[in-house]
Order: sequence, then C-alpha cells, then structure tokens
Amino acid sequence: MGTLEDVLQCILEGKRDPEEISRELGMSVQKVKDAIQILKSLGYIEEVEKGSGTCSTCPLRKVCGGSCLLPKAKAYQLTKKSFSLKDHS
Amino acid sequence: MAMRVVALAGNPNVGKTTIFNALTGMRQHVGNWPGVTVEKKEGVFEYNGERFLVVDLPGTYSLTAHSIDELVARNFLLNGKPDVVVNIVDATSILRNLFLTMEIFEMGIKNVVIALNKMDLAEKKGIKIDVKKMGEIMGVPVVPMSAKEGIGLRELKDIIHRVSHGEISPAPIAPRYDPEVEREISHISNILSETELSKRYPLRWLAIKLLQRDDEVMKLVLRYLGEEKLREIMTHIGEAEERYGRAMDLILASQKYEFIDNLMHKFIRYMKSEGPSLTDQLDRLLIHPLYGFMTLALVFYVIFKFVFALGLPLQKILGDAFSSFGTWLAPHISSEVLKGLIVDGIISGVGTVLSFFPLVFLLFLSLSILEDVGYMARVAVLMEKLMRKFGLPGKAIIPLILGLGCNVPAVMATRSLDDEKDRLVAMFINPFIPCSARLSVISFITAAFFTSNHALVAVSIYLIAIVVALLSAKFVSSFLVKVEESPFVIELPEYLIPSWKTVLLHSWERSKEFVKKAGTVILVGSLVIWYLSNYPVPMGEGKSYAERIGMFFEPYMRLMGLDWKAAVSLLFGIIAKENVISTYGILYGSEGALVGVMSTLQAYVLAIVTTLYIPCIATIAAIRMESNWKWAALVTFYMITIASMIGIIIWHVGTALGY
Repeated sequence: MGTLEDVLQCILEGKRDPEEISRELGMSVQKVKDAIQILKSLGYIEEVEKGSGTCSTCPLRKVCGGSCLLPKAKAYQLTKKSFSLKDHS
Repeated sequence: MAMRVVALAGNPNVGKTTIFNALTGMRQHVGNWPGVTVEKKEGVFEYNGERFLVVDLPGTYSLTAHSIDELVARNFLLNGKPDVVVNIVDATSILRNLFLTMEIFEMGIKNVVIALNKMDLAEKKGIKIDVKKMGEIMGVPVVPMSAKEGIGLRELKDIIHRVSHGEISPAPIAPRYDPEVEREISHISNILSETELSKRYPLRWLAIKLLQRDDEVMKLVLRYLGEEKLREIMTHIGEAEERYGRAMDLILASQKYEFIDNLMHKFIRYMKSEGPSLTDQLDRLLIHPLYGFMTLALVFYVIFKFVFALGLPLQKILGDAFSSFGTWLAPHISSEVLKGLIVDGIISGVGTVLSFFPLVFLLFLSLSILEDVGYMARVAVLMEKLMRKFGLPGKAIIPLILGLGCNVPAVMATRSLDDEKDRLVAMFINPFIPCSARLSVISFITAAFFTSNHALVAVSIYLIAIVVALLSAKFVSSFLVKVEESPFVIELPEYLIPSWKTVLLHSWERSKEFVKKAGTVILVGSLVIWYLSNYPVPMGEGKSYAERIGMFFEPYMRLMGLDWKAAVSLLFGIIAKENVISTYGILYGSEGALVGVMSTLQAYVLAIVTTLYIPCIATIAAIRMESNWKWAALVTFYMITIASMIGIIIWHVGTALGY
C-alpha cells in the first residue's frame, strides 16, 4: 500500500492526530498533513463543520453578533466512500 | 491581435493571489464563473509590448471534480484552451503541490510553467531545491520565486512570453502506474479511440478519469460511446477493483503520490534533519494526557488571576459609579413608584450586571489570545482524548468548546455530528459547560465573597463543571444512548503570535453580547423582579410576590444552605443566567448587604448550583429544536437533580468540616 492508503488506514483504525499517524508510519507530520489534503480532495475524508454554518441560523445571532468561540484546529471525518473501503477489507 | 491567455493554477494558500496581483496590478476584473457562485478573477499584464490576459483559477489540491472549485478549474484547463498554464507550487510543500501538477500534466496540457513560490521560506526550513534539475525532470520551465518580496516576477513574465511564442517547448513528464493499471488505461484508451472523443480530449486522461469513476467524464463518454459500451467498461473496472480490493481512484492517487515522492528526491534535499519542530515539541507537552491537563489548569488559573487582578478594581469603579448615579438621581424623581422602579429596579439590577463588563471583556480577551495563538486547538485535542474515555464521540469536542461562549450555538453545532445518538449525548452534556453568562455569575460571587483566592475558586467551579459533564457523558452513554465511535482526525495549526487587532475585535464582538443582554433581557427581568418584590406590599413582611414564590421553594433550598432569595434568583436565572446577579442586586440592594448575610460556603454552593442547575431558556429551546421535547425535559430534569445533589453534598460536607 502507498502513503495515501496507509494514512487512510490509520484514520480508519482510530488514530486521531497527524503526529500519531506520522509516528505509526515513520514519516514526517507534514507528509501526513499533505496526504490528508489529497484524501480530502479525493472525497475520502471531509472537514467537520465547526459551527460557522449553524451560527448563521442561530436565533441569538442578532444579539451576539455571530462571534462564536471556535478552536482553529481542523477536524476531518471519514466519508461513506471510506467506510465502503473498510467494509471491503 | 487577441490577447494570449494565461491560467494560474495551484493549491490554496500557495501565494496564487499574490502572484496574480503582482502580475496584473490594478488591471483586474472580478466576476463569477458561468453558472456557479465561484469567484472569477481576470487581469491583464504587458510584457515586451504584448498584453496577456491572466485568469486566476480556484485553488485546488487536485482536479478530481469532487468540488465545484475543482470542476471550474478543470473545465477551464480543458475547454478554455489557455496559451500558458502557470502552476504555482509551494516550495515548502512540494509533494502535495506536485499532485496537482501531475493532474495538469495528465490532461495532456503541454504549455505549463511551474512558478516555484516561497523559495525564501523553503531555504529557511533547510529545503534545498535544484531548480535546474527539477525543470529537466519535470519537463517544464521552473521559475524560483518569492512573490511576497517580488522576486522572480520578471523572470516569470519572460518565461510566459517565451512559452506562449513557442520559443520554449515544454515536454511534461507523465505519471506512470503499475503494469496492471497501465494495461487498464491502454485497454480503455483503445475503446475510446474509436470515437470522436479522440479528436477533442486526451484519451489517456479520459481513461484515467473513467477508472476513477468520474461522473462528468462518464456522462461525456456515454454521449459518444453509448450505454452498453460504457457499462462494459465500468464492469471491467469493477473487476479490476475486485482484484485490488480497493477503489481504482485510491489506487491511482496512491501510485501517483509514490511516483511524485520518488521523483522529487532527485532534485530536493532536506539540509536540516526532519526532527521535531518547536510546534511538535510544545505539542508533546500541551496534549500530553498528564502534563497537558496540568498545563491547562495552570493556564486557566493564570487567566482568572489576570482577569480578577485587573477586572475587579474596574468592576468596583463601575459598581460605585452606578450606585452614585442612583443616589444622585433619587432626589430628582418625585414619584416614589418611579424612583423605586428606576433606582432600585433598573440601576440596581442592570447596573450590578453591567459593572461586571470589565471581567467579561478580560476573559474574552484571554480566550481570544489563546484561540489566536493556537492553544484552544490543543485544548480541543486534549479534551477529545479524555471525552472518548467517558464514552463521548470525539467530534463532540467542537460543540463543547463553543459552549464556553454560549450554549445555544453549541447545541446547534451538534448538527456537525452525523450520528443521531452522538448528537443526543453531545446535547445532553453541553449545558454543563459554563457559558460566558455563568462566568459573570461566578465572577460576581467570587468577587463578593472570596477576597484572596478568586482565581482558585473560579478554576475549581470550572473543573467541577467539566468533571460533572464527563461523568454525565459516561452515564448517558452507558444507560440511555449507546454511542459508537466514528473515526476522525484533528489537524492542529502552527503556533502564531496573536494579531492584537483580531484579538481585540473578537473580544469586543463577544463582550457586546453581554451589554446587549443587559439592555434587553436583564432590563426586563430587573423590572419584573422589582415589581414582584414591591407588590402587593414591599418586601419585608413575607407578603410580596417575590417572597411568596421564594418561600414556596425555601424548604428545598435549605437542604443546600440557601434561602428564599436564592430560589428567586435561580428562578429568574432560567431566563438568562445574568439575572441571578441582577436579582441579588435588587433583593439585597447592595453587595455589602449580601456579604453580610451569606457565608463563603453558602456563596460557593450558590456559585456551583448556578453553574449546573438548569440550561437557560434559550438553550432548552435549542435542545428541543434539535431533538424533541422529551430530550429537552430530560436534560433539564437531570441538571436540576445533579445540581441539587452536588449543592447538598458540598453544603453538608462543608458544614461538617466547619466552614
């Protein structure tokens, strides 16, 4: 298997952060982050909506000005396409 | 003479816009791509007396057509027939960037120029790129650049000019796959070669896209080849996937990635060892299961210390100002009723709440700094690891962090969780996370009753709230809703020096909510409480409405060491938590009077119970909207029960210990 498949497999197995995956696969964190972006563009993972979407429909938006506290971390979840891969294996 | 067209293609954040602006200056036009709401930027530059039209394509990582941006970029490259394609590559992240380059090469586009941007940053990182060799290997001209500094711009214009005039004839390298994949590509290409498609599109690219089950290409091929032939090809692809045990698009992408990895090592060297960066070293401490939590507690202790040290003197000034204003205003109002309403109702109620603005602002300022530095992202990872141990889905961490600001958007943000069970659990525990409104109550009580250790008391209340949230998660996921963990990954940002402009702007935006609430919900609440405490007769003989309501709940409140006034305050706190402060302001008249009748233990119990006892009415409505009445009622009942139990335990244990 190649880098992309290895990274995807690690996420499927429950590894949570690029550093953990980089240790597991013996590659740089940057390489793992790059692979995550490619997997995202291939439709295997997607970014988790952090709330900016819900903010626009929040009933309190007029009061609070829509300035929710959001961590800068990006979270990605697997798509159905990835789960079909899991089922396959 | 028609202008030659130059397309700029590249990943997001590679400096594409900087290069576009540097090339075109003010001669730009912004519109939309036909039929979609994706921004299209065009501009013109002149070189050697010739004008070039530059089209800035949307930033993409590939051209797989999974997003509208990718589709727009791909369609322009295919059908827009640009004279030159400038592929902007980030020199600090070559592997990922060359993936898009290879996709462009695979489309059969020859006139490609690579603008190798951020060379200065790459050098700082110890990345040594042999540009000449890279050009030879890639088969296209490579222009080293540092667009921000304006380096390489003239060279880029020159190369664009020469390529567009055929003075340079690039011969891009094509990615090669393993023999079986190549056999599939040849097989499909042969079938397609019998159609008109061969005149309009590169067959190898079409074959690769069919192997990837690309919807757009499948529709295209269907038109030329017919349903039966297409089905035959797709069946063939399905058989190949069976043999590999994986989808062909992943196999192709994976092999392309390895192809680039092998290729780039021929022209790139990493001078510095790829050891852990400062960010990695800091992360090892900050997201460590033990040291991470110790650091977190310390960080929040320091924040509260800072907030109280700077905020309390300001709060006292504001409190005194409101009090003096009331004293000054009272003799000027002849009507006793109006005087009571304005001075005892509005100024005492709203004024007491507003005097806490400095503390709220300072806390938001601190949180904004932590957010901008990148620390809140580490808190998210740290908490996520802990949450999983308590049966919470990891993804629920985002709504929980949102809850520190306000629980309403936090409950709504649970929509990001696909699984209904995950959402229910996340909604269940979200109201336990102390929002900014509860922070003002915590500040009010700690400021009034705890003279020397405000920060420690505030941190302890936050800690208790988090522990209760985690235990509740365990309870609900064990007995009410079974949660199955779904995989996901968190990517942490680099640590950054905060931008003071952004930090101050965010802090003000968030603090504004507090002021707006004081002028609306709390103002109305204050008027109602004033009325209830003065009618039918003024408070004091147990006959006012407020006393009657409070007395009804007092036997229950006594179990926690609290009186009827606490009951009334908590009751009004359901509308908005800040009402707890305004109610106390009205019922006691002054902070001094309150301190005189309550012990520190009672104050601590009140702070804990206020933090945990019930979601505010807006949060209850949000839970009902996102789930159902039953779940909203269950959350409310559960919180009242838990808050009461903890209040009773702390009161009795504290009393037994002599506090």
